[in-house]
Amino acid sequence: MDDDLPTDFQVIVVGTGMVESIVAAACSRIGKNVLHLDSSDHYGGLWASYNFDGLQKFIKEVSEDPKRQEQVYNLSEKWYIEKDVSEEAEENKTDADPAKKIWSQTKFAAEYRKFNIDMTPKLLFSRGPLVELLISSNIARYAEFRCVTRVLTWLDDRLMPVPCSRADVFATDSVSILEKRQLMKMLTAIVGNTEEEMEQEFKDWNDKPFKDYLTHKGLTPNLIHYVLFAIAGGTDKMNCRDGVKESKKFLMSLGRYGNTPFLWPMYGSGELPQCFCRLCAVFGGVYCLNRPIDKVEHKVVDEGKSIVVIESKSKTLNCDHLVIGINECPKDLISPEPTESTDISKAVFITNASIMPSEKEPLTLLRFPSLDGGDHAVTVLEVGPATGSCPKGLFVVYMITSKVTDAENDLMPYAQRIFDMNADQTETTEKPKCLWSVFYNVRDTSAPVASLVDNVHLCSGPDSGLDFDRAVEQAEQIFKKICPGEEFLPRAPDPEEIVFEDDAAPGPDFERTLEDEEEQKPEE
Amino acid sequence: MAKTYDYLFKLLLIGDSGVGKTSILFRFSEDAFNISFISTIGIDFKIRTIDLDGKKVKLQIWDTAGQERFRTITTAYYRGSMGIMLVYDVTNEKSFENIKNWIRNIEENASADVEKMILGNKCDLDSKRQVSKERGEQLAVEYQIKFVETSAKDSLNVEYAFYTLARDIKAKMEKKQEASNPPGARGGTHQLKANDQQRKPPSWLSRCSIL
Repeated sequence: MDDDLPTDFQVIVVGTGMVESIVAAACSRIGKNVLHLDSSDHYGGLWASYNFDGLQKFIKEVSEDPKRQEQVYNLSEKWYIEKDVSEEAEENKTDADPAKKIWSQTKFAAEYRKFNIDMTPKLLFSRGPLVELLISSNIARYAEFRCVTRVLTWLDDRLMPVPCSRADVFATDSVSILEKRQLMKMLTAIVGNTEEEMEQEFKDWNDKPFKDYLTHKGLTPNLIHYVLFAIAGGTDKMNCRDGVKESKKFLMSLGRYGNTPFLWPMYGSGELPQCFCRLCAVFGGVYCLNRPIDKVEHKVVDEGKSIVVIESKSKTLNCDHLVIGINECPKDLISPEPTESTDISKAVFITNASIMPSEKEPLTLLRFPSLDGGDHAVTVLEVGPATGSCPKGLFVVYMITSKVTDAENDLMPYAQRIFDMNADQTETTEKPKCLWSVFYNVRDTSAPVASLVDNVHLCSGPDSGLDFDRAVEQAEQIFKKICPGEEFLPRAPDPEEIVFEDDAAPGPDFERTLEDEEEQKPEE
Repeated sequence: MAKTYDYLFKLLLIGDSGVGKTSILFRFSEDAFNISFISTIGIDFKIRTIDLDGKKVKLQIWDTAGQERFRTITTAYYRGSMGIMLVYDVTNEKSFENIKNWIRNIEENASADVEKMILGNKCDLDSKRQVSKERGEQLAVEYQIKFVETSAKDSLNVEYAFYTLARDIKAKMEKKQEASNPPGARGGTHQLKANDQQRKPPSWLSRCSIL
């Protein structure tokens, strides 16, 4: 099978993370001849989603073969439930509350396919760059989304819903009429002001804390909390410029799909790189997984043309441009050494109920301000069975923050606030019971890194941000370098628009015929 | 826009490279066969609406986009699929043997209750045949899947295959609907479209404040 693989490409992409996949799709879309490889047997790299079985393999790999997963460390997995449930316990429970299932490790394993657990859970802003790109490129047809139904915050030692929309502001009884008026005025100003008005308003505030500005505007402590932590997603130290920018982004995405500004991809964020890969393949990109690369060399051939030569499984592959994920790239190609950055602390919990039960299955973003008044807020995402993330009766909860000591120390205090970490499943408690957890740290490889060679383009790893905006932005930059002057992911035609006739040239949207493809191969 | 169909079924074509998946797709959707058409470049899916017992059934049939070549079909390809045509080439033994691997792949990635059908394509090429019809039938019995030999070139059994698969999906769906009114696990999802309240200003601005 390996012998079938052609050896000459215009673009070779190594790694199937978000940035790499977008670049692959963009190059293929405009007619470049693309080969897309990954050293692992699945798509996504650190951006992948795993079913429960795949996740167990990943965990095993991290502990047994740290070299294969060198970005992940301090991993600790823990079960809070028995291996098996005795018949007796099950029967007792059935009498008490037939809707509640008693979970065991065996039952998790039996339903492993129903889990889709993300390594890099992220949301999309409804009017953010990724949503716009998915629509404009027609890649949206490969994916489905659900709306985040609510934004919560932690205030006065309990979970509180944050009023997002205008209707929410009216409906909420947690703020007074006076506060409602203040909040509306503030938010309307942030969205509605022109550039000049903004400039005028903030010229003395830009580098000062956003919190001080909100205080100056006379907002009550509750409102400051909502705006600063939940809407702007900030901390006490967030400066005014960022605070306004982030608030605006949040507010501008309201009112398109649901009650909050956010969308969650069905079956997890790991689906999204695959959607771009599909488009790449539809336009002729060749895919090969399980294909580690052994060596990358830069060569100057006739007439000063420079190419990149890759050795993979004792096969030599040539390309004009190599696009490579930072985690797949040989260290000697990276220049300069990546700057020291704060690593990321992450955790995943599987629970037996929502952190705040509601009539319809909720999909929640919880923004947890630092409990010790520090500079690190915690982002919490709770997804349920309707998102394709887990079997019925369970919820998957993700926590993400900047690393201070290690993932478990950084995040356990937050988990303890919202979950019951030790309770017996048969007991009735107020908080959802944690059935399983994993804590781990990931090196932050999201800073843009340059390569030593002009036609080798490095793609960053996942960042700790809430959305995919940085990945989209970087992918477009890389594409522009490889294909200057070309359109970034023009709309792919709908199947109905493609007219095939025997012995006739393909339609105008498909400029590439098989003969063209031959011509486009790099000269040897 | 008024819905022009009663049901929409997402169907997949799966099988080794070169077994004629794209030809089957074109025979069914366009009633065309082009022997020079050797690759799947640019083909995402094709649509044909058929009439089943008085209901308009829109079939959206997805092609592999060449990702079957090195076994790199994305998990996303399988999402939401209701029926799968497993295709092998009767003149290619290996493609027949690989049907078992493709079934395993489907079991791993597709929904557990997806309808399947096995097609032995290129049955017009009798002189080059490597897989007898009996072996195809036997395999189908083993997996309890329906089976038919097809020829996209001679337009043999292609219609029959799609109608059969669609009818089975429809029957299963109607049975399910009768049994219970499911709480619509698939309801409430969004497919992003260009006309989604395009560029409408956010709700903060769209109404004048009465506060």
